[in-house]
Amino acid sequence: MSPIRMQVKVGRGLVLRNPVLTASGTFGYGLEFEPFCDLAALGGIVVKGISPRPRAGNPPPRLVETPCGMLNAIGLQNVGVERFRTEKLPLLREHGATVVVNVYGHEVADYVAVVRALEEETGIAAFELNLSCPNVKEGGLEIGRSPRAIREVTAAVREVTSRPLWVKLTPAVTDIVETAEAAVSGGADALSLINTFPGMVVDVETRRPVLHRGTGGLSGPAIRPLAVALVHRVARAVDVPVIGIGGITSVRDVVEFLLVGATAVQVGTANFHDPALAARLVRELDAWCEARGVADVRELVGALEENR
Amino acid sequence: MPQDLRARVLEQEELGGGCFRMRLDAAPIAREARAGQFVMIGLPDPAETLVRRPFSVARLVPDTGEPEALEIVYKVYGRRTRQMTRFRPGTEVALLGPLGRGFWIPGEAEGTEVLLVAGGIGAAPFPLFLQRAGKDLAGRTTLFLGGGTRDDLLLVDWFRERCGEVVLVTEDGSAGERGLVTGPLAARLDAPPRGERVVLACGPRPMLRAVAELCLARDVPCQLSLEERMACGFGACLGCVVERRHPEGEFDRYVRVCTEGPVFDAREVLP
Ligand SMILES: Cc1cc2nc3c(=O)[nH]c(=O)nc-3n(C[C@H](O)[C@H](O)[C@H](O)COP(=O)(O)OP(=O)(O)OC[C@H]3O[C@@H](n4cnc5c(N)ncnc54)[C@H](O)[C@@H]3O)c2cc1C
Ligand SMILES: Cc1cc2nc3c(=O)[nH]c(=O)nc-3n(C[C@H](O)[C@H](O)[C@H](O)COP(=O)(O)O)c2cc1C
Ligand code: FES
Repeated sequence: MSPIRMQVKVGRGLVLRNPVLTASGTFGYGLEFEPFCDLAALGGIVVKGISPRPRAGNPPPRLVETPCGMLNAIGLQNVGVERFRTEKLPLLREHGATVVVNVYGHEVADYVAVVRALEEETGIAAFELNLSCPNVKEGGLEIGRSPRAIREVTAAVREVTSRPLWVKLTPAVTDIVETAEAAVSGGADALSLINTFPGMVVDVETRRPVLHRGTGGLSGPAIRPLAVALVHRVARAVDVPVIGIGGITSVRDVVEFLLVGATAVQVGTANFHDPALAARLVRELDAWCEARGVADVRELVGALEENR
Repeated sequence: MPQDLRARVLEQEELGGGCFRMRLDAAPIAREARAGQFVMIGLPDPAETLVRRPFSVARLVPDTGEPEALEIVYKVYGRRTRQMTRFRPGTEVALLGPLGRGFWIPGEAEGTEVLLVAGGIGAAPFPLFLQRAGKDLAGRTTLFLGGGTRDDLLLVDWFRERCGEVVLVTEDGSAGERGLVTGPLAARLDAPPRGERVVLACGPRPMLRAVAELCLARDVPCQLSLEERMACGFGACLGCVVERRHPEGEFDRYVRVCTEGPVFDAREVLP
């Protein structure tokens, strides 16, 4: 074992074995990655957004690559909370994975229903409320853009769980500090920043949007500088841990998020390109620290030097 | 079990009609690959090729015996395939495969007659089919190879050497029959069968729709190789779905091309 301390705390005393997690919707239910990656080596796995009932998702095309990024409009296709509980969760437990359940709903009652249905289960480290999906008609951004609605959903879920509660925010707001503070005042233990940016690609020959739904969420390296700036801003404004998400493909990207104040990070779209990436980044972060005499990864968190 | 390898480009050749053949040093994938399966290809750094792209495993090298390399055959459409034409021998690619469910031959033992239907670059999975089929089955196979013009018909000489019969069709009549590939296919399906028949088709959606209709109307088993935009290739992103023909419930409306396909029974999906 390396002598570097990799553990980080992300709300309510939850200790992760290292700060590298995988982002919701980019790591399936974890099990798809099992042939490529030791699930137990990761700081955590945030599973695909779970809704009270199964969802079919949007019609295809659901994806299009963009310069250094990708637009997706999956539409939260998922098996629903009941099948997640009976079919997926037991397997994830067997693999020794640290599981964070990403929760999606149209309204307050949906979020409460999913968390209630899972509260008694073992093998769940935290809940992450997705208050930021751009790809569904109802809920999603409507809740995610309203500080009042964010506070309301967070507080309602807070009532029904004793587990750490993370709230995932959209970047598509005028002032992210307002929505971040609303989540904290509702009882969030940590904030996940960021979900995708709304975007659009048009096929100029057919004059139609490439995605069937018209718009989708932009992810990948294209959004990384935007995400870094938002994490930097929010980490200074709130007292809870911030989890940095957006365009991570390498260990330098991980360190960049830590330096601006993220306590942990989630790797997203890059998992599709390299299913072993997240586990490798854990090892590379360790080596990065060792090479630079950093004994505890927490020394990096918020260690940004300001330019004079 | 799919493997994620660093593979070197061994050679590239322009085939005409905007199509290229690329040989890759990927023996572990080649050994496992079945006709209709595919690989995801990108450069090693995800920041360079954020999503890998799917290509059928077209052919194994050498032609018989233990495979040492595999080939893909691709048509230049946009930015990525144009970039691929610049890969030189020695270029290292990140190669994941073999992926998906390939073609299957019902009643192989009973002398089934196989009708392959290819539209343009849709010929890509069929060399591997013939390599895996063995002499007897290949001899009972007819390939209907269609395209817009003569240059769109790929690997014609290679197919002629290995396939019982090759029927060429072009829209402009520059090679073989003039018209669409479904013309001679329909004629064959309406002729008295020699035995069991199965149709395997790969090509543009309108062609697949027409082939599916011909076969469904005549109760001929038909397998379609479908394409949809992919980000992962192994079932995780849920990006690559197509619609089921007969969904059982609201949630089962879609199936993933990369995992449940890319080859589907024509009765299962709406191409
Ligand atoms: C299972 C499968 C097997 C395939 N086998 C072959 C093959 O053997 N030979 C071959 O030439 N092509 C094959 N394709 C199609 C090939 O992947 C695309 O032509 C290629 O990705 C186009 O990239 P581009 O950047 O050049 O074109 P773009 O400008 O990106 O797009 C051109 C067209 O390619 C398709 N496409 C775009 N992005 C993707 C994506 N992420 N995944 C899949 N398709 C996409 C779309 O239909 C699009 O209209 C296959 C596709 C699938 C799904
Ligand atoms: C295909 C796809 C599906 C996603 N699904 C979800 C989801 O279900 N819930 C959620 O909170 N975020 C979802 N996201 C957003 C990611 O978790 C992440 O916040 C975003 O992609 C930015 O990170 P990246 O640039 O590293 O991908 C999805 C992203 C992608 C690309
Ligand atoms: S390509 Fe990702 S699920 Fe099929």
